[in-house]
This record gives sequence, C-alpha cells and structure tokens, in this order.
Amino acid sequence: MRPGEERSLLHDLPRLALLGLGACFILLPYVWMFAASLKPGSEIFRDSLTLWPERFYAIENYGKALSEVPMLRFLFNGALVCALILVFQMLFAVPAAYALAKLRWRGREFLFGLIMLGLLIPYHVPALPLYVVFARAGLLDSFAALVLPFTISVFGIFLFRQAFKSLPDELIHAARMDGMSELSIVWRVIMPNAWPAATAFATFSIVAHWNDLFWPLIVVQSHAMATPALGVLFFRAEEAGNDVGALMAAAVMVTAPMIILFLLAQRRFIQGIATAGLKG
Amino acid sequence: MTKLSRRMAIGATLSASLATPRLLRAQSAEVVVHYPMPAFFKDVMEKIAEEFARAHPGLTVRYLAPAPNYEDAVQQVLRQGVAGGLPDVSFQGLNRLRMLNERRLPVDLRPFLSRDGDPAPRGWTPNLLGLGQVRDVQAGMAFASSNPIVYYNANLVRRAGGDPDQLPTDWNALIALAGRVHALGDGNSSMHFRWGGDDWMFSALLYGHGGRMLREDERDVAFNGAEGLASVTLIDRMVKEGKMPAFTVDAALQAFYAGKMGIFSGTTAYIGSMQRSIGQGVDLRTTRMPVINAEKGRLPTGGNAAVMLTRDAARQDAAWKFITFATGPRGQELMTRGTGYVPCNTIAAADDRYLGGFYRENPLFRPAMEQMPIAQAWYAFPGTNGVRITEEFVNNIARIVEGNATPEVALADMATGVRRLLPR
Amino acid sequence: MRDSAALAGAAPATRASRGIGEAAAAWVLCAPAGLALFALLLGPSAALLVLSFSDWELGAPELAWIGLGNYVELTTDPVFRIALRNTLIYVGVVMPASIGLGLGVALLVEGGSRLRATFRAIYFLPVVSLLVAMATAWQYLLHPTIGPVNRLLALLGISPINWLGSSDWVMVSLCMIGVWENLGFVVVLFMAGLTAIPRELYAAAELDGARSAMDRFRLVTWPLLGPTTLFVVTITAIRCLRVFDTVQALTRGGPNNASQVLLHAMYQEGFSYFRIGYSAAITVVFLAIVLLLMLVQTRILDRRVHYS
Repeated sequence: MRPGEERSLLHDLPRLALLGLGACFILLPYVWMFAASLKPGSEIFRDSLTLWPERFYAIENYGKALSEVPMLRFLFNGALVCALILVFQMLFAVPAAYALAKLRWRGREFLFGLIMLGLLIPYHVPALPLYVVFARAGLLDSFAALVLPFTISVFGIFLFRQAFKSLPDELIHAARMDGMSELSIVWRVIMPNAWPAATAFATFSIVAHWNDLFWPLIVVQSHAMATPALGVLFFRAEEAGNDVGALMAAAVMVTAPMIILFLLAQRRFIQGIATAGLKG
Repeated sequence: MTKLSRRMAIGATLSASLATPRLLRAQSAEVVVHYPMPAFFKDVMEKIAEEFARAHPGLTVRYLAPAPNYEDAVQQVLRQGVAGGLPDVSFQGLNRLRMLNERRLPVDLRPFLSRDGDPAPRGWTPNLLGLGQVRDVQAGMAFASSNPIVYYNANLVRRAGGDPDQLPTDWNALIALAGRVHALGDGNSSMHFRWGGDDWMFSALLYGHGGRMLREDERDVAFNGAEGLASVTLIDRMVKEGKMPAFTVDAALQAFYAGKMGIFSGTTAYIGSMQRSIGQGVDLRTTRMPVINAEKGRLPTGGNAAVMLTRDAARQDAAWKFITFATGPRGQELMTRGTGYVPCNTIAAADDRYLGGFYRENPLFRPAMEQMPIAQAWYAFPGTNGVRITEEFVNNIARIVEGNATPEVALADMATGVRRLLPR
Repeated sequence: MRDSAALAGAAPATRASRGIGEAAAAWVLCAPAGLALFALLLGPSAALLVLSFSDWELGAPELAWIGLGNYVELTTDPVFRIALRNTLIYVGVVMPASIGLGLGVALLVEGGSRLRATFRAIYFLPVVSLLVAMATAWQYLLHPTIGPVNRLLALLGISPINWLGSSDWVMVSLCMIGVWENLGFVVVLFMAGLTAIPRELYAAAELDGARSAMDRFRLVTWPLLGPTTLFVVTITAIRCLRVFDTVQALTRGGPNNASQVLLHAMYQEGFSYFRIGYSAAITVVFLAIVLLLMLVQTRILDRRVHYS
C-alpha cells in the first residue's frame, strides 16, 4: 500500500469498506442525535431504531432551542470568547515557546518542567481559588472571567515549542545579523514559518473552549454572558424533564459550527500538526 | 519596538474593557432571584415575576442564570457565601436546607411570618411550613413539592390480565402484576422502583412502614429495625418476584416512554416529561403509592423552597413580598399549572378560583395532591457527611437489585456505613 | 596583528554579552506566560493543595489543620481504591485500543486519495462532541431492551447486555465510549505524522527490496512516526488518566462505585459532598500518580524514538 497513490476503485474497495464500517461506529450517536432533533418527544424513544420522523418536528424543536434561550447570543458569546482566548493564548505562548526552543539560558529546563506539570493538572483544581479571586474582584459574569483563566495554554507552549525546534537556526542568525530584536524575530520570522502549526493549535483551542461547560457554569450568572454549552445544558433537567428534541436541536446548533470550521481548515490543520515538528 | 508598544496599548485597552465590573444593582426596587432546573421552572418563574411586578408596582424581579439542578444550586450559594454575591432569594432543594442552615446562610423567616399574622388562613398549614423548617428555624418557604407515585402503562397492564381502572393499592398486588407483565416477554420489562440517585424512594418505603432514619437524638441509626428490614425485603421481592431488572433510572424512563415497561414508581415530578416524551400508543395512568401501614405510614416530600439570603433590611422587605407571592395562592397556581409539582398552599389546592378545576381536568396529577396530608419533610442527615450518607443507601440497594447481596446483609452494611459517617 | 588580537580579545566578550542578552531576552519573552502560569494555574492549584492538610468544607466559617489526616483516611477508603483500580483499567484498555485503532484508521485514510477529506472530517467528529447531549444518545443506543446495539447483538444470537446498569459491564461500556472519544484525536495526530513522511523514502525502500506493505510499514512508516507516536502516547495517556466527563454524565460512578474513577471521586468529594480538604488530598495523590507514570513513560519511550 503506497500512500497517496491513485488506485482503481476495485483495489480501493477494501480500504473504503473498512473505513466505512468504522465511520458507522463513529457516526452512530450523531445520526441518532440529529434524527431526534427532527422528531416530537413521543417518537424519540422507540423500540425500533427508526431514524426518519413520522411527524416532522424540526421547526418546533429548533424554534424552541432558539427561543427558550437566546441561542444566537450564546453562539456569538462563544465565538467572541474563543477568539479572545486564542489571541491571548498565542500572545503568551508563542514568545515563550520560542525562548524554550531556540534560546539557551539557565532555567529553561526548569520552566519547561513547570509547563509539563501544568499539563497534568486537571481543570477542576484551580477552579475554586480562581472563582474566589474573581468574585472578590467583582469580575464574575464578565468576559474577563470567561477568558482570563485560559490565557495560559500549556498545550500551546508544548506544541509551538515542538514546531519551532524544527525550524533551522540559520533563519534566526540571519535575522540577528540584521539587528532585529528577539521579539521581532518571534513575530516577523518564526511565526510566518510556523503558521500551519498555529492553525492546528487554533483548531484544538477553539474546539476545547467552545464546548467548555465546567468553568462557564461557575462564573456565568446572567443570560447575557452564557456560552453555547450552557445553552444546551438548559434543556437537560436531570432524569426528568429532558426536552430531548429541543436538547438535540440545541446540540446540533452548537456542534455544527465546529464541524464547518474543521471542514474549512482541515488541510491546513493536518499540515499544521505535521509541521509542528512531530518529526522532532 | 513601535509595533510592540502599539500592540501593548491595544492589549491594555482591551484588557481594561474586559474587566468592566458589573454595574451596581438598582436601588432596592429589585429582587435578585436564583432558581434551579430551568427546563421545568423558567416559564413559571417568568410568569410569576410578571404578575408580581403588576401586583407590587415599583418592584421588579431579576433572575440570575438558573442552575441546572439542586446540587449546582446549593454549590452556587455555598460558593457565594464564601466569595460574596449572594442573591436576595434562592430556591433550594428541601433536603439542602439543613446544610445551608448549618452555614448560617438562610434568614430565619419566623419574624416575617408572625408580623403578618396567622399563616394558616393564608394557606400555609403547620405541615407545609414544616417542610421548610430546620429544627426551629424557618429556613425557607416550600415552593414546589413532590411525593412518590406509581405510573402505569395501561395497555401492558391490560395484556397482563390487570384492570387499568382498578390498579393495585398494595405492594403484593403490584409485585404480582409486575411479574405477569414480565411474563408477556417480547422485550417488555416489568417494573422500576427508582432506588438510584439518593435515598428518597427508600425513605418512601421506610416511612411507609412507619419507620425513621435516625434515632431522635440523631446519634445512631434507626432504619435497621423491623421497618427497614421490611423495606429492603420489599425491594428484594420486586427483583425476585416482580422481575425488576437492574436498569439505571434513565434506561427505565426510556423503556417506559417506549411503552416497554409496565410499572414505574418515582416522583410525581416526572409527569411533565412523561407527557412530553411518552410514545403515542401508551395509555398513562398514575396512582398513589401502595399503602403499607394505614396509620403510621408516611411519605417523603421532594421539591424546593424559597430561601431568603439577603441581610439588608430594605431588600429583605422586597424579598419577603416576593416569597409570599410565589408561595401564595396565585403563585402556587401558576407553579402547579406550569410544572405539575404539588402546590404548597392549601388555598391554591382546594379553591376553585385557583386549582380546584385543574385537578378535575388533570387526573394524572391528583394522586400526588391527595398524598399531601401524609407527606413529611425530606430528612437531611446531620454533620459534614450528610450528602455522602445518602450514597450508602444507593450503593447497598444496588447490591440487592443486582443480586449481589441479600437484604439482611445489605441492610447491615448500610447501618455500618452510615454509622461511620455520622458526626461523633 | 593588533587588529586580529583586538578582534580575538573582543570575540569572547561578545559571546558572553550575547549570552547574557539571550538570557535576558528569554526571560522577557517568557514573562507573560510565566506570570500567567503562576497566577492562573500553579498558584491557585497550590492554594487548593495546601487545603489538603485541612478539613475545610465549602461554605464552612472555620477550618482546622489536620496534617496528614486526609491522607490517612485515603488509605482506608474503599472508594478511593476502587477508583484507582478503575482508572488504571481504563487507561490500560483505552490507550492501546485507541492508539492502535487510530493508527490503523490513519493509515487507511492516508493510504488512498478517494474520500480522504470526508473521512478526515468523520473521524474528527468525536473531538467536537458535546457530552451533555451525547449522553442521552449513548443511553439510548446502549439501552438494555430498546437500544440498537443490543438489537444488533440479538441478531447475532447474543443475549442482551445491561451496558450501563450492571456492575460487570459498566466499565466495558465506558472503555468503549472512551475509545470512541479518543479515536478522533489519535487519528488526526497520526494523519499529520503520516503526511510528513516524504514520499521518496518509500520509493527508495522499494528499490532496496521492500515489496510488501508490511515491509514498507516496518522500514519506513513506523520509525518515522516515532516522534508522532511519542506525542500521541503522551497526550492520550493524560487524557485517559483524566477521564471524568463520561462518568459524570452517564453513570455518576455507579452502580455501587463500579465505574468510579479518580477524577470523579475527587469531584464528588469536593463538589457534591463539599469536603474540599479531602478532595484536595485525592488531587495530590492523583497528580503524584500521573507524574510518576509520565516520568516512567518518557524514560522508556524517549530511548526508542528515532528523531530524523
């Protein structure tokens, strides 16, 4: 099997069949979710797997998802929060990654060790102390509270460090000869060469924070600040009271932008991880 | 470097704008309220706010983002107790009131009640007030209550030889019927008794036998006596004779919606979602819990209560007006019509101006309302492990349901487990 | 002569000053990230971990310092032991399964050009899944009597399995769902690693006598995937050790703690039982275990990885 080679459809069939089988396994929950978003409540839980609705209820379900909560507002908030987080993450991570990858200085290994430590800490751990600090500072229920805790992305530093390591040193020497300061080197020389890695990181970051439920649940107190995942949570009332049709409709509305994002960016995304020095 | 400083300037402005603190609250004309389970209560709360504003010009209600469930609601209040930002009024699960009271968060409502005169003529009997009391403190006013009932799939009942108009009134008949439903086969499950999640339904059996959870002095367990043994044996019979499968409550609900389960016993609060999700061919009926001990038998009450959290006198006045409206006849009517929970106001329940007609038109809701006189407070365990103790019940009953332990062994382990967690 | 001497004398000085300048620049560059790291991550975490030596409960007006009291309690806590065992089982099953299957899928996807973009998108889907909604889907799909999975098994003659309700099967179900979740991540990372391998190497290998696909894989693909594999193993290990969302959404650790895992036990103690001090102690032990595993793994794998 030579990668990338063109083959006749017959030769390709085994590959397509296997992938298709796997795809069914992957898609099954999504297919059910989407089907449920088109059905009225009484049809969703049935003895047999009937995907197509008898009574087309999509308008009611999606309408409810849009009207019970200001879903569009939540989607907008989500976009804004993710964009802000990404900007700050890059601002902080890229220079640090460069320093860790290309510069020689005492304390480099120590800082890198701390970063690896940060990678291991579960997100629940800093939550309560951060909450208290934000609450005392009166910052709750604001974009600051939603964005600040995530401005440090240890995963980003890790990824960019790998990417920068594989860049040739000559680029940097040449830039230094030209009298550029280290900071300019970072943004003018290194980043443009590692742009694919940035796309990869951007995708991971946006997806992770778009779906985040735990932290927004703690800091959001008014509907004006809620994020997409909270919008979906609204329809889930523990054991009883799940309006399953509307819940699925909301979930579809929240997941769709991410899928579209990936479809648009996937080639760059794959390239990006490749360039992120997974070659070492 | 110029590029850098420009960027820094933009960054600084951006950061500053992000950190805009919340605007100061409007002067005491606003009541800040927090409630849980928006899927249930959002429409109801908004209607209540609307009518309250009309009845009290000059006062408005502002709702904070609702908590998804009771656990998150109490977490939020506890966090706010530490970091500040408590709302004026919060609706908390009835079994959480004790914990909140131990943290000295709720305002004692007795002065407010006595200032307004005798509560009974306004619809708040001592029984109802008791739901929101912790020891002597009136920690909250019960707002929405629920008690356990039994749901039946009338079609399966008929096919199993039962009569949907003469549904079982005691456990022997119920379990026998369940066994017959199981015998129908074809993927049909017999019954489900919602033993998971917390100790509420177990306490339904325990109280039904006339038992109690802990001794009067709360220093030792009392549920491992004859009543407790009878309760766990009953669950064992549900499994052995009634062929109850070891489903999670979500699986049981889904099977019931699909028309593949005959009997489901759980909170009356499920009626709303039952009506919404149940398959079209399913004929749904509800009955009271089977009576075990006619004189001593009681049932636990679920639901939530309105708790006052503000310590500012002016805000307390406004908050009290809101609480009395929400738990008054009109507020309770709105609540019941919107959610199906049982009203906590006798005037609302009986008077034709409010809900009298409702119960005639909606027979499904009637059993829970009729059980109100024997519904007692949801017991909350003392001490720091109060919540963890309920897990002991759930875990040991799980062993019975899966057939991993006999009722006697499970009960004994329950007692040991709970004893270990009681305050010393 | 004097010029060269002067130059020679000047060279070490420049190198030294460049060294200092480099360090200074490095600190400046790392300052924002470093500050944020301490202020937003390490600092608050340390604050919480200090609480592990106390008995503080959320909302309690006072606390007492009890030294190692919480840790002692941990050693006798059966729930903690079950959680530890379950977490290790989960990692032991999900990690190899998702990495192995992920590699297979990536090889298949990148191995041809038809429908590559479609399959990439499909296999990426689990990464964007919102568990809050996905949970209901899983509950239905894995339903013991009305769920499609059991229906399919019935066609094959297998009697229905109580996937999420039985203590015997609940970990199996969670592992399956875990593989489903992690597959997307792994596939995407491996796909990237594969596209980075230069085509010429395959041509060269074939000239050298590597005919079969197995040979090509063994001689070219696998060695060059080394760094990718290391990255994948690290990230997947961390993700598996931190399993929480699925347990929280589907089983809450039940029935009877059969699906309890470390992070869920930590969350339950802290956020359901409000015993912040005890929860912090669980966190410390968790971090210690994770750190140990990471060190062991880096030691073992770093030696094996082939950097180009």
